Amino acid sequence: MKYRIIVASLLAVAAVYFLVPVYWLVLAATKDTTGLFGSNGFWFADPHPIRYLRMVLDYDNGIYGRWILNSILYAGVGATAATLLSSAAGYALAKFSFPGRETVFNVVLAGVLIPATALALPLYLLFNKIGLTNSYAAVLIPCMVSPFGVYLCRIYAAAAVPDGLLEAARIDGAGELAIFGRIVLRVMTPALVTVFLFQFVGIWNNFFLPLVMLSDQKLYPVTLGLTSWHGYTDRAPILYQLTVGGALLSVIPLMILMVVLQRYWRSGLTQGSLKV
Amino acid sequence: MAPAKLTRRTLLTGTAAAAGLALAGCSSSTDEAAAPPSRKPGEKITLAFWSWVPGIEKSVDLWNSKNPEVQVKLEKVIAGNKGAYPKMFAALKAGNPPDLGQVEYQQIPSFLLEEGLTDLTKLGINDHAGKFVDWQWQQGVFGDGVYAVPQASGPMGMYYREDRFKAWGVQPPTTWDEFETAARAIRKADPKSYICSFPPTSGGWFSAMSWQAGAKWFDVRGDDWVVNIDSEQTRQVATYWEKLIRADLVKPEPDQQSGWFAEVQAGTIGCWVAAQWGDAILAGNAANTSGKWRVAQMPQWDLAKPASSNWGGSSTAVLNGSKYPKEALEFALWLNTDPASVDLLIQGGYGWPAAKDAFSGSALDKPSPFFGNAKYNEVFAKSDQLIDKSWKWIPTISDTHRHLGDAITAAIAKKTSFADAIATVQQQTVADLTAKGLKVATA
Amino acid sequence: MRRHRTLAVLALLGPFCLLFAGCFLAPIGYALYQSLLKVERSGPLGLGSDRSVFAGAANYAAALRDDEFTGSVVRVLLFGVVQVPLMIVLAVVLALLLESASARWVPFFRSAFFLPHGVPGVIASILWGFLYVPGISPIVKLLDDLGLQVNFLSSGTVLWSIANIVTWQFAGYNMLIVIAQLKAVRLELYEAAKIDGANAWQLARYLKLPMARPAIVLTTVFSIIGTLQLFSEPLVLRPLTVAVNDTYTPNLNAYTQAFVNNNYNLAAAEAVLLALVACVLSFGFLRLVGRQEDE
Repeated sequence: MKYRIIVASLLAVAAVYFLVPVYWLVLAATKDTTGLFGSNGFWFADPHPIRYLRMVLDYDNGIYGRWILNSILYAGVGATAATLLSSAAGYALAKFSFPGRETVFNVVLAGVLIPATALALPLYLLFNKIGLTNSYAAVLIPCMVSPFGVYLCRIYAAAAVPDGLLEAARIDGAGELAIFGRIVLRVMTPALVTVFLFQFVGIWNNFFLPLVMLSDQKLYPVTLGLTSWHGYTDRAPILYQLTVGGALLSVIPLMILMVVLQRYWRSGLTQGSLKV
Repeated sequence: MAPAKLTRRTLLTGTAAAAGLALAGCSSSTDEAAAPPSRKPGEKITLAFWSWVPGIEKSVDLWNSKNPEVQVKLEKVIAGNKGAYPKMFAALKAGNPPDLGQVEYQQIPSFLLEEGLTDLTKLGINDHAGKFVDWQWQQGVFGDGVYAVPQASGPMGMYYREDRFKAWGVQPPTTWDEFETAARAIRKADPKSYICSFPPTSGGWFSAMSWQAGAKWFDVRGDDWVVNIDSEQTRQVATYWEKLIRADLVKPEPDQQSGWFAEVQAGTIGCWVAAQWGDAILAGNAANTSGKWRVAQMPQWDLAKPASSNWGGSSTAVLNGSKYPKEALEFALWLNTDPASVDLLIQGGYGWPAAKDAFSGSALDKPSPFFGNAKYNEVFAKSDQLIDKSWKWIPTISDTHRHLGDAITAAIAKKTSFADAIATVQQQTVADLTAKGLKVATA
Repeated sequence: MRRHRTLAVLALLGPFCLLFAGCFLAPIGYALYQSLLKVERSGPLGLGSDRSVFAGAANYAAALRDDEFTGSVVRVLLFGVVQVPLMIVLAVVLALLLESASARWVPFFRSAFFLPHGVPGVIASILWGFLYVPGISPIVKLLDDLGLQVNFLSSGTVLWSIANIVTWQFAGYNMLIVIAQLKAVRLELYEAAKIDGANAWQLARYLKLPMARPAIVLTTVFSIIGTLQLFSEPLVLRPLTVAVNDTYTPNLNAYTQAFVNNNYNLAAAEAVLLALVACVLSFGFLRLVGRQEDE
């Protein structure tokens, strides 16, 4: 009983810490700029949630909606491609022996340890040379590469894909790519979901790469768009309230996604993939 | 077409003539062979324009309604180093810059160093020199070239809360001595309030303060960039503010951000020594204080020799790489001189017009309810007359402003002398220019 | 058959390797190349045409001599030494609490702790910015009412205010990885330990903690890499405080050099140094852990 009270109070304190900013954000989204500066942050002041959130969506010909769609595009397409590429590469590294296999794997592993932002700058210079900056591709292409995904997929494939299954399929005359597409991907599903989620959230939260690559605000993901509003507040004070409202709107879908998909994070990681 | 570059000859003759007004129409560099590309008659084109000036979209709309063949597509960007310049530099490097960009006077040398601006003399800009206030025009003149169409400047004044000063029983100061006395009286009358805040990281503001005191930080001499930050005048300004901060008479904090706005709304800050464009910022962020503000001249160092200063100011520049520089220049000229456009820009709060004689009869020349129905801009019209017009900038100004912010912040935290901080910034600035491969002289 | 296999490997591995080469190896190579060049200026006032010339290690020397750059590296190292262990301990404690038999409403708490990971770094920084700025922040006001004068944005505190933002965002995420690892332990082990009379503390300390070790190592390595990448938090807080400037972290420094000051060559050298430090630290940590395991 004593334990139970201690544990419960510790958990409650932690919950307050994690939720208070979210509570503030929800309240703040119901206020206008004057209210943001002039009222108690932990309580309502002349709330107009619907009107203010509509203003977020309507501002500047509805650019906000476009940013959200862009974010979904970058994260959705980028994560899907990254997952497929990682699973194929991870499977190949796990189940085929060929000269240079360990070298490839070690180079990829080193890729995990290089900060993505250290790469973004030279990548920009490079894309610049081939005229690729300021386009959807400039953000999408780098997002399709996930060394960590390859690492997870290799370990998972080595542990979970039985050699017998592959041999049987080969004897049945199935081509290697068909085996990968029909059998291996299915067996690897838990790992795929994990890689997808890692990458999806990573891209959704990414800021530096689009900041460096994009100048046309029609191509911005929502993180960059909101930051541009926030940076413009001194000239157009209404943007204080729009930034806050926009922040709330942008985190709602991802928060729901995170909470709903929690168990997938676990299932993919538990199955032998955490062997560092 | 090859980007216009400065040659030694043009520069030398240019500096010789720099003091005088560029002679309209006498440009010798109109070169038929190097004629810039231009659109074919009847061809429909779209010019890209990056700016952050509030309300500028109204002028752009007006232009677009009148010029169906030359449409301007405005993109609002974050002001200055926080957004616009990194993006413009990146786009210049990538070879796809917007046709037109908002470029502050202080940034023009940086853009020139990156070969980012089009020399407009070949396009005949000198025919229009007479339409602009001379010193703002000069901000875009380097050698024989003219690289920017001036838009607006920031003559300074003192915005103050009449109601708060009355409540504190303090007269608005007219000299810096009175300012200190008033600051002390306000602290005594109301320990929660300060006469003003001191923005330690605003290099632009601090250089404007030095500008008023008669400092001249930068110049050009022959082939050298001259750096003279560490001068008697700058040290005078630095020591003055150091004294006020040490005595807790002003509040060191960044201005124009959320915490500062909250204090402005609450009236715990009595005044703001700022540029004319500050009116829109105050009215926009503290609408609930309408009617309580007044404007006076900046406090003076010597009432016998009144001087004011300039904070900010920017131009419309045609970026190097624009496919239609001729049309871009036409738009830039129209934007900044057409009376209807200038009036729209004034209403948005773009600053003090670079177009000559734009003040009387314009939206600036009207009583404002926010300032107690006073024709407050008369103060700025006077201020504009009191500015030393020979101020120049250097290509590494962003570095200098950052060093200044760091040095003063450190001096406040470690309680070291501001004058030493200024000396450090002088050395750092010389080092920055040298590292860029430029020749530097000190005064 | 052999040729068949080779083709299969090429088809499976090729697309990834191609993109990996384009997005990882090429930029590193290009950064190395750029970092060895410098811009030479000509013409009066240096405003004439420029060209790139070989500079040897000059950019590296300049970066290492630059107090702002080395200062920013030291700053994030200090940040990492304090914040990473604190956050990992918090994540592990929360995981162990949630996995203990005494915990109630586990799904609610787990979701609550994990929720902030759905808030991108820039948005989290904007949000916390409002909670830090005096005059607006209800937290500062609350503490003030309690007689505590706190400034979250002073030069002494702002680094830890940033640490708080990062911890808020990532503690729950790391916690989930640790929980995943704990779940992988077979239940019989717990039962056996319980039968042996182990209490909750002993169970956590001697059974679960060692079990969670791989997850802790993984999250630590990721946190070290993340620390060196700090960018959006100082970027967003910068206008709010005098204590953060454009060169506050190595990444922000490189960004400023490249995009504000147009020193691409210096920025490239800084990016290379940053990648090097990251690799040395993460490999070093992994080796340290590996050696302990061997003992």
